[in-house]
Amino acid sequence: MRFIQRTQTSIAVLGLGAILIAGCGESTESKQGSEDQAAQESTMESEGMSVTKRQSTLTKIFHAAPSPMETASLIKRSGAHFHPDALNPAASSAQYTTSDRQAINLGIYGADLSYATIFEENSTCIDYLEAIQSLSSSLGVTDVLNEDVMNSVEENRNDRQALIGIVSETFYGLNERLKFNGQEDLAGLVVASGWIEGMYLATRHLEEAPSELKQRIAEQKLTLDDVMRLCRSYEQTAELTGLLNAMAPIEAAFGQVVTQEGESTTNREASGSFVIGGGPTYSADDATILAIAASVASVRNACIQ
Amino acid sequence: MSLSKMKHTLTLLMAIGLMATTAQAQCRAFTKKNCMSELDGYIQNDNYNSAILIPGDEAELMLTFLAGQDYRLVVCSHPVLGDVNYTIFDGRGKNLFDSRKSEQNEMYVDFTVETTQQLQVKVQVPDSETAIMHEGCVTVIMGSKS
Repeated sequence: MRFIQRTQTSIAVLGLGAILIAGCGESTESKQGSEDQAAQESTMESEGMSVTKRQSTLTKIFHAAPSPMETASLIKRSGAHFHPDALNPAASSAQYTTSDRQAINLGIYGADLSYATIFEENSTCIDYLEAIQSLSSSLGVTDVLNEDVMNSVEENRNDRQALIGIVSETFYGLNERLKFNGQEDLAGLVVASGWIEGMYLATRHLEEAPSELKQRIAEQKLTLDDVMRLCRSYEQTAELTGLLNAMAPIEAAFGQVVTQEGESTTNREASGSFVIGGGPTYSADDATILAIAASVASVRNACIQ
Repeated sequence: MSLSKMKHTLTLLMAIGLMATTAQAQCRAFTKKNCMSELDGYIQNDNYNSAILIPGDEAELMLTFLAGQDYRLVVCSHPVLGDVNYTIFDGRGKNLFDSRKSEQNEMYVDFTVETTQQLQVKVQVPDSETAIMHEGCVTVIMGSKS
């Protein structure tokens, strides 16, 4: 009987912890013990604030990674061309039937969409938005890419900046909603697979790639670090762990990138904006770039199966 | 544990869960209403980073910024928390920007990086001496443009 009582109490405590973690959304590191974790329980009396019951302070650790739109922008800036044959066909979306595969390919399609948007391939954008709408609906997120947004896409199909804004807002909304729904593991899959697809697109047709693109690829050692740190902060489901483990060869390939440390400097421009100069530089020889491309392609091709 | 005690426990858990969810929903609404407009003209980063903090709390974020992009970092907080400060450090811990020393005292800072690098953002909610302590929403969002 005592064992049953302890088991029931343990379940209750675990349930309380799970609810609080889901409510908090991100990891926290308490400075004064764990009892303050129960502190988030006060109801907000007005928008964005309330009287707190928490007594001790904490340090909240946020995690983030550059978006596929940023990766697509650097591909275009480096002088590379659009390669439609490198994309995962939008028509394949129906073949992803489990939530994990749907989340992974939501990330893949997000990167494809960003790539098409940056290169102003507007009709391709529409196809990918429809595929993303279908996958996000399957994941229970129906209000982000709703009919109003799709109508707005149609109205702005020739306006690159408007489309970029819509795509960015959509993926911010999906990330927010998955976290709010307690599906952080799925949000992690979206981020990781989006990074993989962005790198896959950046490493296509390397023989014609300008040297600047190779430099930009080498620098993605840092964004890989962002992605891995972010994904490891989430609950490690079998699929998320599996994807992160599959990315080990990519990490190994990026391990060959050479880093040269440098002092950072700051200068303020007349506009009020800062320029952060100096800092580290990253370089990779052709063999390293090819190894990165091969490892990325291997993981990416497994993702779209 | 009796059936009635289990019911009470479950009810308590559900109530706490509902309150935490409500608080997060309020924070989302606050962010959408008060923070997102600060990124006008920028492509917003996909990551939603928002938390309910109290006086004395800190938040940290490390992120890679790509060479040649223009960035806007927004640290948006509920006024009840007072002047929330933020500092940007490079990968070696060198202080590159401190909002307390900024003349403009804005909730955002615009910058460009000449080389791709990871920067760390540290956010600090000032201490409060008041008897009744409030908690409020703090959001850190980024935008970029080429």
